Amino acid sequence: MSILLQATGLNKRFQNIDALDNVSLTVSRREILAVVGESGSGKSTLLATLAGLQTADAGRITYYGGDRPWDIGDMDEMQLRRLQRTQWGFIHQNARAALRLDVSAGGNIGERLMMNGARNYGDIRETAARWLDEVEIGRERIDEMPLNFSGGMLQRLQIAATLVTSPELVFMDEPTTGLDVSVQARVLDLIRNLVHKLDVATIIVTHDLGVARLLADRTVVMQGGAIVEHGLTDQVLDDPQHPYTQLLVSSVLPS
Amino acid sequence: MISYNFAYLDEQTKRSIRRALLKAVAVPGWQIPFGSREMPLPYGWGTGGIQVTASVIGETDRLKVIDQGADDTTNAVAIASFFKRMTGVDITTRTADATIIQTRHRIPEHPLTENQIIVYQVPQPEPLWRLIPERPVAMRAHALGDYGTMYVKLYEDITRFGRVASAYEHPVMVGDRVLMSPSPIPAFDNPKMDRMPALQLFGAGRERRLYAVPPYTSVRSLDFSDHPFHPGRADGTCTLCGSTTSYLDEIIMDDQGTRRFVCSDTDYCSERQDAKEVTP
Repeated sequence: MSILLQATGLNKRFQNIDALDNVSLTVSRREILAVVGESGSGKSTLLATLAGLQTADAGRITYYGGDRPWDIGDMDEMQLRRLQRTQWGFIHQNARAALRLDVSAGGNIGERLMMNGARNYGDIRETAARWLDEVEIGRERIDEMPLNFSGGMLQRLQIAATLVTSPELVFMDEPTTGLDVSVQARVLDLIRNLVHKLDVATIIVTHDLGVARLLADRTVVMQGGAIVEHGLTDQVLDDPQHPYTQLLVSSVLPS
Repeated sequence: MISYNFAYLDEQTKRSIRRALLKAVAVPGWQIPFGSREMPLPYGWGTGGIQVTASVIGETDRLKVIDQGADDTTNAVAIASFFKRMTGVDITTRTADATIIQTRHRIPEHPLTENQIIVYQVPQPEPLWRLIPERPVAMRAHALGDYGTMYVKLYEDITRFGRVASAYEHPVMVGDRVLMSPSPIPAFDNPKMDRMPALQLFGAGRERRLYAVPPYTSVRSLDFSDHPFHPGRADGTCTLCGSTTSYLDEIIMDDQGTRRFVCSDTDYCSERQDAKEVTP
């Protein structure tokens, strides 16, 4: 598999805390990579840095999508914005904050298309309708305000609004954390199906090892801003080598 | 007795506003911050427009002030009498006779010329404000010319009303570069802004911003390729002058819902009525 995103030697300090301590990783095309660790281990910082939402103090990130390799640090703001809204996607934990609650479901999905230059109302609407079906909300709800949607529906709407441009790489920050357990299963199932159907590479941050096991091909474990263990998900979770990973795995309640 | 300076504002203030206006003319549509002063009327009543007018008016100017197209409404009368007292210039209601026209909510029907300046009163200069509440984020969008978000509003309009139909304040692109609010004029008036021979100045007193559209600058209303911009006009005829092309106000006549349409532009309407009385 060819490499899609490569990060080397990322460092980020917040005052006297090392949020990222010499982090390097790669993601291949069509691969799902889970980043696990406890709160404050630096996983969300890592995700935001990889996605270009904040800059690292040191290190480089290279993206091998499109027609040539891009060094994220060398891109100007408009190039980065274009990359983020065409070939990348970002799914936030809190769908309420990411969506426009006073704009119809169709408008929310259409926004990304319009930001990329779509100027035909009929086409935008048809694409939005198709995606509402795809995420099991149903096209008949295209003109409803997300204000009335349940948490699971909001998250599915955010997924539709992100995947609508068929990105190559999607960053997910705890996409199911705020949801009810039964709803979590449905959203995870949807993510797994869509990601495989669309051949999109995914970096998913989670503190839930079950999510990693369900979705991820590979898993990296973070502690104190550093990657302490990485490997195939089954290998990391079934045969943890690092004491911290062993602690994480053993602290999962038996189901 | 100590009298006020010509046009109320002191000369230093007028100079600072003129400097901002020069910047505004140099970058068509771009919002320029300025040191908006306290004026002897509340925000929302045209403090921005008054300061712009006060900075450009001279002793030989003839001023026309309109509110919703009419010269005889409270806001228009108050501002006109203010300038009468503070400058002594002639006040006119005839669009063709005026050198400066301060307006709220309308552009006169009579085409403007190179010898005229039109000053708009603007409540909210930022066209993106409902979509991007954070001003610094909106400014980055302006800097990058990244305006796709604005279409979300148009999408919602079509979805709810069936057409691109913000009845007023329909966003425009100025010089194919800057997204601009035309101020709360009806969409009907938007086409008049395009390549207008007169200088167009916009003042927002509370928001402390002003902007400008120099003469003969392209002003394009945003739309979708399959839903072209449609300047809305009530389908009716003016009861007073018989105009079938002017922008109309609807007047409810009685409790039975009888309604009549009359021209919103009172000067245009009375000119047509006068012409009729002579010709028959």
